[in-house]
Amino acid sequence: MLQRLYVHNFRCLENFEFSLREMSSALLIGRNGAGKSTIASSLELFQSIGRGVNRVRQLVQPKDFSPNRSNVPIRFEIEVLIKNKLYKYMLALELPEDFRELRVFEEQLLVSGKSVYSRKEAQVTLTSRNPEAQFLMDWHLIALPVIQEQSETDPLCIFRTWLARMIILAPIPSLITGDSQGETLEPKRDGSNFGEWFSGLLSRYPAAYTEIKKYLQVVMPDISDIQNQSVSRNFKSTIVSFEKNDRNFTIEFKDLSDGEKCFFLCAVVLAANKHYGPLFCFWDEPDNYLSLSEVGHFIVSLRRSFKNSGQLLATSHNQEAIRKFSSENTFLLDRKSHLEPTLIRSLSEVSISGDLIDSLILGDTEL
Amino acid sequence: MSVNKYLPHILVLPEDEANSDIANGFLLHPQLNARSIQVLSYVGGWKVVVDKFTTSFIPTMRKYPNRRFVLLIDFDREEDRLGYVKQQIPDDVKDRVFVLGVLSNPEELRSSLGKSLESIGEALSANCSDNTDGLWEHDLLRHNKTELKRMISSVKPFLFN
Repeated sequence: MLQRLYVHNFRCLENFEFSLREMSSALLIGRNGAGKSTIASSLELFQSIGRGVNRVRQLVQPKDFSPNRSNVPIRFEIEVLIKNKLYKYMLALELPEDFRELRVFEEQLLVSGKSVYSRKEAQVTLTSRNPEAQFLMDWHLIALPVIQEQSETDPLCIFRTWLARMIILAPIPSLITGDSQGETLEPKRDGSNFGEWFSGLLSRYPAAYTEIKKYLQVVMPDISDIQNQSVSRNFKSTIVSFEKNDRNFTIEFKDLSDGEKCFFLCAVVLAANKHYGPLFCFWDEPDNYLSLSEVGHFIVSLRRSFKNSGQLLATSHNQEAIRKFSSENTFLLDRKSHLEPTLIRSLSEVSISGDLIDSLILGDTEL
Repeated sequence: MSVNKYLPHILVLPEDEANSDIANGFLLHPQLNARSIQVLSYVGGWKVVVDKFTTSFIPTMRKYPNRRFVLLIDFDREEDRLGYVKQQIPDDVKDRVFVLGVLSNPEELRSSLGKSLESIGEALSANCSDNTDGLWEHDLLRHNKTELKRMISSVKPFLFN
């Protein structure tokens, strides 16, 4: 579970600290530009590192410094509880004068307070190895993806896998086609590799099909079959069949409605969390594309699925979605102007006179 | 799909945000048939609950005989409140309407238990599912016994898997 996220000097996040602790699900609310998507970008940076991206310029650009603050390092810290061990990863990036690309200033991974490796600029020290090992590496490269793991139980492997399997979603249904040219367990933010994810999940965990179909039959009672069939070598396409009163209808996945594609995405998220979780899932506005009658059930399904395993962090501007969370697990983000940093506070600590939704509509919720 | 109005289902109308939080916790029980229950937006006051129910929902109760309804209100230690609210419910739908709530208010229950409102809702849901009194025996909830018993016998067959 994600315990804590700390980001400093990255876009609108300055000295920004967000603690989720034991919350299985939580919601971020706040007006446009308050910083919700920047939190997603920060998490995506860790996800990318876990997935092997190690060139600094592919992760952070000079324009990502908070306004007029390129002389201060950008700092990212994440604390994650995995199998009762606390993993803490810190990464600081700086832009020295005359540099066009940021470089690593500091980097460290600790497990239960003990250092696995630490780094200062180019100098990396593997403190967990006996004897302690030191080596130099290009300061424009992140060390975490390249340090060799010794086994699947190596903390490096466990942590990298956790990061890589984080689900960060802001789906764009028009990009979700259901076609695939391979398999993965690493979905993209826009959902455009849904087909590969669906194929990867079913290939490694065939029982997931039952979970997926079970969820879909609740939201689309006339669905009868989902086929992920080979069209040619290394190319699969998904088709969906419906049946009612002995009549059948089959369509290509890409022709489903935007909301229906989101049902599929939700079904795969739930199945993935069950079969290769516990997973951390950040879903930016999961209520998008859904009818009002579906929003509440959709949110509750996600919250229930992550209740005993994994963790869900969502954002929303939708009142039905917001009402499915409580003040204890809702966080309000606020920012006074584009020149000032994002503030965050639990809604239970914010004084709101009257109804929350009315207050949000009127723009009265401020920190 | 949303709740199927032609199949047995239950709607919950909470008085305020605190009651809504308890209802949200109730929804998180893993064996709950989530498509047979819908928590409506809270309305801000027990009198508004009664007004909204009588003006907006009684006609739909008559139209959909499989619909049950929970009015989730604070009793504010007013002994007459349950009787007053029940008087506003027409006889022809009375057996499908249940009036539940904390003896005082949810905030006092939360302080007494030291748990979040969602956690309280989860515990109450678990007790309903397991047929145990549990938290329902708390001093601030015990008064619900008759209504609860009536409700459970009406909704248990479809609310929990």
